[in-house]
Amino acid sequence: MDVSELRKNAKVQLDGHPYVVVEFLFVKPGKGQGLYKCKLKNMITGAVLDRTWRSGEKFDPANVESRKMQYLFKDQNGYTFMDNESYEQVALAEEIVSDDSAFLLDQISVDVLFYNDRPVGVTLPSHIVMTITECEPGVKGDTATNATKNATVETGHKIQVPLFIREGDKVKIDTRTGAYVERINT
Amino acid sequence: MAAELGALPWSTRVHIWDAAMAAVRGYFRDQGLREVSTPVRVRAVAVEPFIEPIAAPPGLLATSPELAMKRLLVRGSGPIFQIAHVFRRAEIGERHSEEFHLVEWYRLGADLEPLLADVEALVARVFAATGSNGHVPKTWQRARFLEVVTATCGALLRGDEDAGSLAAALPPALAAEVARTLAPAGELEPWARTLLAWTGFFTAWSDMFFETWLKEHEGTHLVDFPAPLAALAVTDPAQPWLARRAECHVGGLEIANGYVELRDADEQRRRFAAVNELRRVYGAPALPIDDDFLAELPGLPPCAGIALGLDRLIALAVGRTRLADVSLSLGGA
Repeated sequence: MDVSELRKNAKVQLDGHPYVVVEFLFVKPGKGQGLYKCKLKNMITGAVLDRTWRSGEKFDPANVESRKMQYLFKDQNGYTFMDNESYEQVALAEEIVSDDSAFLLDQISVDVLFYNDRPVGVTLPSHIVMTITECEPGVKGDTATNATKNATVETGHKIQVPLFIREGDKVKIDTRTGAYVERINT
Repeated sequence: MAAELGALPWSTRVHIWDAAMAAVRGYFRDQGLREVSTPVRVRAVAVEPFIEPIAAPPGLLATSPELAMKRLLVRGSGPIFQIAHVFRRAEIGERHSEEFHLVEWYRLGADLEPLLADVEALVARVFAATGSNGHVPKTWQRARFLEVVTATCGALLRGDEDAGSLAAALPPALAAEVARTLAPAGELEPWARTLLAWTGFFTAWSDMFFETWLKEHEGTHLVDFPAPLAALAVTDPAQPWLARRAECHVGGLEIANGYVELRDADEQRRRFAAVNELRRVYGAPALPIDDDFLAELPGLPPCAGIALGLDRLIALAVGRTRLADVSLSLGGA
């Protein structure tokens, strides 16, 4: 595949192993070649490495199969998901889900990735809506400043939000960066 | 730190874009430049090694308004400016977007200095107009491209080295990157090979050395580019190994690129052809050559032009580096 398809969460086959792009930066010096700077995590061993591709180069997509599944619950076996079609359940260990656990709302639908029939990762929707469960009081009418404050959403994930956000507000969050995007009016 | 400030509320975004565009227009009106608006869908774009147009049958979306604005200059427009929508395929990142805004302007006379003064004035005006909490550069320096190369990585270059002598003059890490760039190139016209080597060098040097150096300087005009990286600029008659091209940087972010404009149609055609040759090596489609532009180019009055990325400037003005934090794009594309 052309390197322009690379982005965060892309799955790449490298030296015989499947990797997921965990950090991604596109830079392009004026009229130079684009650089696709990736931090890659081995989807089996968790080992991390840096790799930079240049525009015009190619990469191999990882041999992973993706299945639509629904998140059910967490227990000592890890995070359990159910296949939307076969109702088969699989448990993913905590280290596989890792940071994505911050966005696992009850019954959220995700893509679970399998490598040789073994679950190796989760792909979340790029944006999800969550409810603010805790934050400092809102400042009325203050929509024009750049200031932000700390807030917590229902999964316990902490984010920075503008001052006008209040407890109980629904906000859209970018799961790739973990950052606040906008308030959802309900 | 700046990037952690996060996305601006929509009302703020509307406010700062309005203020910034009004500041740009006010500045150029004061300076006696006239505003133009050239087509977004065009038959051909400037042929660049690594700028990919988006198809819009039967034409392409403009990657820059450059060729059209020069044809207006040929027709006697006098000094002009434009806030143009431009499109570059697959440039997606925190500081890149496939669609963005270029403020592009041309002044008569073969001199870059007035344009660099414009950039400094525009930056100050846009920062002020947006009620900025960004950091306005207090000082601007002119830095010669090859002197910065020597200061950062030790290589002594004149600007007209071919691929072999360039690689030989570079420290091993950079020479390896040039070799990597040249690897897919088999048979190649010598001129195209030189262009490819210098492009590979510039890319790697920017990434490994120049960006770090830039962060220690507030406002920087990088001038006197090596001739192979002239693009659409003239070479210096007294020192033909150097090009009259400049790049402007604020806080480590490139915001503008300008030329004393090349008016020699044969030379321009040769450069476009060399770039297409280089594109072939990289498996990129050859781009159509704008014959109408080349036919009119000899009528271009001596002039200099520059393009400034408005989205980046606005982001900087409000203390951000992510374009998405200030963009009026509603998503979807």
